[in-house]
Amino acid sequence: MTTLLEVKNVSKHFGNDTKALSNIDFSVKEGEFVSIIGPSGAGKSTLLRCINRMIDASSGDIIFDNDHVYELNKRELKKVRRKIGMIFQHYNLVNRLSVIENTLHGRLGYKSTLAGILGLHSEDEKLQAANILQILGLEDQLYKRSDELSGGQKQRVGIARALIQNPKLLLCDEPIASLDPNSSKVIMDHLRNICTSMGITVVVNLHQVDVALKYSDRIIGVNSGKIVFNGTSQNITSSDIHQIYGSDEGKLIFDLGGSHVG
Amino acid sequence: MQAEGPIKPFPSHTGQDLDKRLLDLLSKKPFSKSTIVIRLSVLILAILTMYAFVSFDYKDVKLLDALLLTMDNLKIMFFEPHLKHFTFTQALYQVSITLGLAFLTTIFGAIIALMLGLLAAGNISTKPLSIVIKGTVALIRAVPTVLWVLIFAVAAGLGSVAAVIGMTFHSISYLVKAYSESFEEIDKGAIEALQASGANWWQIVFQVVIPSSITYIISWTFMRFEINFAVAVAMGAAAGAGGIGFDMFMASGFYFDLSEIGAITYFILIIAICLEIFATHIKRKLKVLS
Ligand SMILES: Nc1ncnc2c1ncn2[C@@H]1O[C@H](COP(=O)(O)OP(=O)(O)O)[C@@H](O)[C@H]1O
Ligand SMILES: [Mg+2]
Repeated sequence: MTTLLEVKNVSKHFGNDTKALSNIDFSVKEGEFVSIIGPSGAGKSTLLRCINRMIDASSGDIIFDNDHVYELNKRELKKVRRKIGMIFQHYNLVNRLSVIENTLHGRLGYKSTLAGILGLHSEDEKLQAANILQILGLEDQLYKRSDELSGGQKQRVGIARALIQNPKLLLCDEPIASLDPNSSKVIMDHLRNICTSMGITVVVNLHQVDVALKYSDRIIGVNSGKIVFNGTSQNITSSDIHQIYGSDEGKLIFDLGGSHVG
Repeated sequence: MQAEGPIKPFPSHTGQDLDKRLLDLLSKKPFSKSTIVIRLSVLILAILTMYAFVSFDYKDVKLLDALLLTMDNLKIMFFEPHLKHFTFTQALYQVSITLGLAFLTTIFGAIIALMLGLLAAGNISTKPLSIVIKGTVALIRAVPTVLWVLIFAVAAGLGSVAAVIGMTFHSISYLVKAYSESFEEIDKGAIEALQASGANWWQIVFQVVIPSSITYIISWTFMRFEINFAVAVAMGAAAGAGGIGFDMFMASGFYFDLSEIGAITYFILIIAICLEIFATHIKRKLKVLS
């Protein structure tokens, strides 16, 4: 399989003292499902946002789909961003707009400024939106305002908005951190399904180890801005978890996680 | 711990001694600095007021006579209103001119302020630009509308042109502040999401920023329309901008016709009440929508 994403020696500091990431190195193959785990404040969100340059890394190089992301001009960067869908903890929908309008926002990057301003979408695009929403089980909510949805439904709209971009990569920043266990499972199942059956590469930030172990092909453990583990979920040991989360906490999490995974 | 056994009853009555002690405690309310300042201010104001009444130069005006005469004038104004120097239809036409002035300046102001408001909002603009625009409009806002009209009258001459420009100018500064603060209130998550998908600035403005703040935009614009109506009446009189304000100026300063002033006041009052009812109606509609 070909390499889709390569992160080379990336560092990021905020101001002079906060070093959020230091010398991050990893790569992701096409079609892989990778989870990034680590305690809160480890730098997971920063790492994810450095990939599509929502945050500019201080140094290092990122290659996505054969483009050097940090050598692109504004225009070229927008084109690359169209190929990267992003999913957020708080869904980040426009509350006043309907499910389908929010979904079609994913097409804006492909439109002329005027068509985007006026919200003009072709029949094809609308059909595609309805199609994706049906796959995600939202076909009965097409014209509902998005603030009338449950958290799990909102996140599915977030996924639909990312999918309609026709992305090669999905970046998910704690997609289930605000959801109950049932909705979390639905969302994770959808993400796994998107990866397996659509062949879209998924990189997901998580803080639940058990979920990461259950769904991922590979796990990257981050602590204090450094990668401390990078391997398959079969190969992870309790001492690795210790290293990622720090002593006692790691033990607790692993015991819990282990029992769930079975 | 005393978890078992009957709960001790709340003492139902306090003895005379206890009451006295409580009253004593109550009377020991701490004397704070602000109470002293407030009491002192009230005292000084009272003294000044009394001194003023004593030292006024009343000339030949007797208090009682003056009061009665004022009452009489008010009676003529509000209980015997009539139109002498123009007809009802003409009055209606003049009111529509005043409304037109208010409408025009509000629309001009709103269109320009929308653009500037976007550039002034910290979350969708750049910091230096935002600071420059906010500072400039704060300066413009600090000068009252009437003064702006008079300032523009230097170039355009006293009249409707100066009124339109001056009122638009002040409306812009007012609405830029209102709009930009509404824009800054909106959730930055959706903006981030569309930036991440490759959408450009204009698309984000029209697909996220404006839909999210449309209720605020409408209600602030209407608020300014009401203000502009009141200003337009005053401008008719002060700047010769025409409309019902000018008729009022003529009735009072030229014909000394109290009854006509009363009639015109009723006119303006009715319009103002209609606007108020309309505004509440719109706001209720918007609340249902938002
Ligand atoms: N915009 C910012 N300004 C300053 N410091 C930041 C900013 N964003 C993140 N940080 C810091 O960077 C570190 C990593 O944060 P983050 O990537 O959000 O961690 P995580 O997502 O793993 O919880 C934290 O110490 C955080 O305080
Ligand atoms: Mg985070």
